[in-house]
Amino acid sequence: MNDNAGQGANNSSDFVRKLYKMLESPQDESVVRWGNEGDSFVVLENEKFTKHILPKHFKHSNFASFVRQLNKYDFHKVRHNNEDGGASPYGPGAWEFRHPDFKINNKDALDNIRRKAPAPRKPNQVVEELIPTQQIDMVNTQLVATQQQLQSLQERYNELSMHHSMLLQEVIGVQKTVVNHEHVIQYVMNFLNTVDAQRRRESRVVNPFAPPTSSGPNGVATTAADTAPPAEEDAPASPLQAASKLLSEVNADHILNVRNLEQMNEQQMRFNATLTTPPPDASARAHNRTVSRNAQPHSAGSSTVSYSELDNMVYPVGHTQGIDPMYSEHINNIPYPLPTKTTDGTTAAANDGRKKGAPVDPGWVRQPQVLLVEDDPTCRRIGGKFLYAFNCAVDSALDGLEAVNKMNAGSKYDLVLMDIIMPNLDGVSATHLIRQFDNTPIVAMTSNIRSDDISMYFQHGMNDVLPKPFTKEGLITMLDKHLSHLKKHTAGLSPMDPPAVPLPPVTKRSMKSEDSPATSPTTNSNWHSPSTFSGISPAGNQADDSVYYGQQGGYAAQAIQHTPPLYHSPSGAPLGTPQRQQQGARRGIADVSGGPGEMGDAKRQQMYAPPHMQPMGRPR
Amino acid sequence: MPAPTQQRVRPSPSPSKSTVQHREEETTPDGGTIELDNYPEIIDLTVFEQILEMDDDPEDRDFSKDIVSGFFEQAEQTLEKMNQSLVQSNLPELSSLGHFLKGSSATLGLVKVQKSCEKIQNFGKRLDASGNRDEPDDAKSLDNIRSTLGDVDEEYHEAKRLLQQFFKTEGE
Repeated sequence: MNDNAGQGANNSSDFVRKLYKMLESPQDESVVRWGNEGDSFVVLENEKFTKHILPKHFKHSNFASFVRQLNKYDFHKVRHNNEDGGASPYGPGAWEFRHPDFKINNKDALDNIRRKAPAPRKPNQVVEELIPTQQIDMVNTQLVATQQQLQSLQERYNELSMHHSMLLQEVIGVQKTVVNHEHVIQYVMNFLNTVDAQRRRESRVVNPFAPPTSSGPNGVATTAADTAPPAEEDAPASPLQAASKLLSEVNADHILNVRNLEQMNEQQMRFNATLTTPPPDASARAHNRTVSRNAQPHSAGSSTVSYSELDNMVYPVGHTQGIDPMYSEHINNIPYPLPTKTTDGTTAAANDGRKKGAPVDPGWVRQPQVLLVEDDPTCRRIGGKFLYAFNCAVDSALDGLEAVNKMNAGSKYDLVLMDIIMPNLDGVSATHLIRQFDNTPIVAMTSNIRSDDISMYFQHGMNDVLPKPFTKEGLITMLDKHLSHLKKHTAGLSPMDPPAVPLPPVTKRSMKSEDSPATSPTTNSNWHSPSTFSGISPAGNQADDSVYYGQQGGYAAQAIQHTPPLYHSPSGAPLGTPQRQQQGARRGIADVSGGPGEMGDAKRQQMYAPPHMQPMGRPR
Repeated sequence: MPAPTQQRVRPSPSPSKSTVQHREEETTPDGGTIELDNYPEIIDLTVFEQILEMDDDPEDRDFSKDIVSGFFEQAEQTLEKMNQSLVQSNLPELSSLGHFLKGSSATLGLVKVQKSCEKIQNFGKRLDASGNRDEPDDAKSLDNIRSTLGDVDEEYHEAKRLLQQFFKTEGE
């Protein structure tokens, strides 16, 4: 027995042996003992058992834990619900546990009492694992759903951005059409003006050479006197005057919008089509000072000078553009869509040559002639140096008077950079005078870039504004913009081409010639008709000039001598002047695209525009 | 001009700024240096560098030196004229002179001088310093100009010292 017991104890579980041993202690019989039949054991006094017996044998005093342990070894509590009226034979507080192999006289059977450990656990584990997989499944489904959402969003986005760019292009096209229509209307206006003037001349008996006594000091009267021959009551029909002013202003406005949209469009394409177009360097590099284009909205937006009533009537909305040229944030955001591309090439060229300050040919067909009108010698020298660096031939004038005289004396320039505030004759007046006989692009160089200032510049026939102190970038932008017709290779057309593959000159030329005149095939013929008319009626022009120049004072006599027969377009956008013919072959295309600023711009944009939108830009 | 010129020139858009600054570091290793970019309140280097970049030979800085010394001469004449006009209480002339000096100082990037000159320009137009409000009192305008002219004078000489030092170290 003992041996057996020893062996059995060896084989059986520790807990079971302890349990058996516990029941062998007779002194604890009152607390825990074998059951009456010897096939179970009974805890008689729960409290004492927990406090005294358990610690002795199991090193803890937790009855619940003991019961749990028993359960693990498949002991079961014996219930006496039905038998004996439900009362336990050992007393109401007694706990009786039984296991088939746990018997008082059968120690060997103890070996059969095993922890039922794994069996009951398995289902638990399965449950535990089950939850994560379900969760993962759920997450997966969610992920898939999200991905699908994302994809549909992406598709929607693509669709929308496609629509967006389509709309943009549509709008650009429409705007261009409108602009072209404006121009057509302008030409018609000019034609009407000449007809009007002619009619008045014919119906008048006044001596056309009568001394001009009373030319009003304000611009309106001046324009009137200019447009029509001699006397002050000879103003063109006021509806014509008003209309042409409106037209000129409306135009500038449209141009600006076109630019905004063009830029949007370009960005759009850059994002969508993942073009490898380098970001417009120039605009990035353009520091706060590179303004100029944003100027234009204001030119249309608010003019206070002498046309205030008109402007108020026409442009209640213009100011909502909200771009203040004085603020650098705006300045940097100014749309420079197409010029910037062109600038890249030039800038690169400029950068290359800049170190030495040696002239660099940014690719001119011929060297541009630039007139720099500036009274400040420092500015003049620096500006001249910059221009020289871009391989421009620079002539300079110290003030507006000298500039007018130079141009009036027959000097031909491709671009005039004009300071505004100068002694003797300011830049605006000078421009106004020059516009009477020449339409070379004139860029205002000034630090006065308040909107009403700029508006005044444009009203007097200036084409652009280069804010002072001007930067290389700003200057390049101006050159690019206004001398694009002189550029040998139109960089804007192939900005992504490696530099090693320049367009063959023939292509360029054909592009160009296609471009400039094609923009206005209908208007082209109109260009000449006004000049024809003005040619018919040279009478009174001299007197007319003396009115004008006399008013400006100082150099009237000289001016009269040089002034050719004039045709005055009241809007300051000279069209088809006789000078055009005088200029002859040298200026050719330059003249056409260097014409009224708006025209030139519209054309250039069209030139650089994505090919598919070109047809829209064409006037019908 | 033939296309090849274009090709030769285009592919090398060398960043100018770094070139210039690099040079300055090289030429001024000995402690007696003037780093113009340490004085952004006096001189806007992005503007001034454009002039430095125009030098045919960065070693002698003929062009920029000449420009700057021309500016000194011009500025001093203008300051003198301003003082005269102040004595004569000639507001329009003061405004005009203020504008003039504003332009040339701006071209060199001398921001302090430029700003003060703009004030003088505005005062001379019988406006307040910002040019936004009318200043009906001519005596007040003259007073304003008098005190601003003192600022300009100081700021100009500050800038002049800086530039002279720069070209001195540059030249060595």
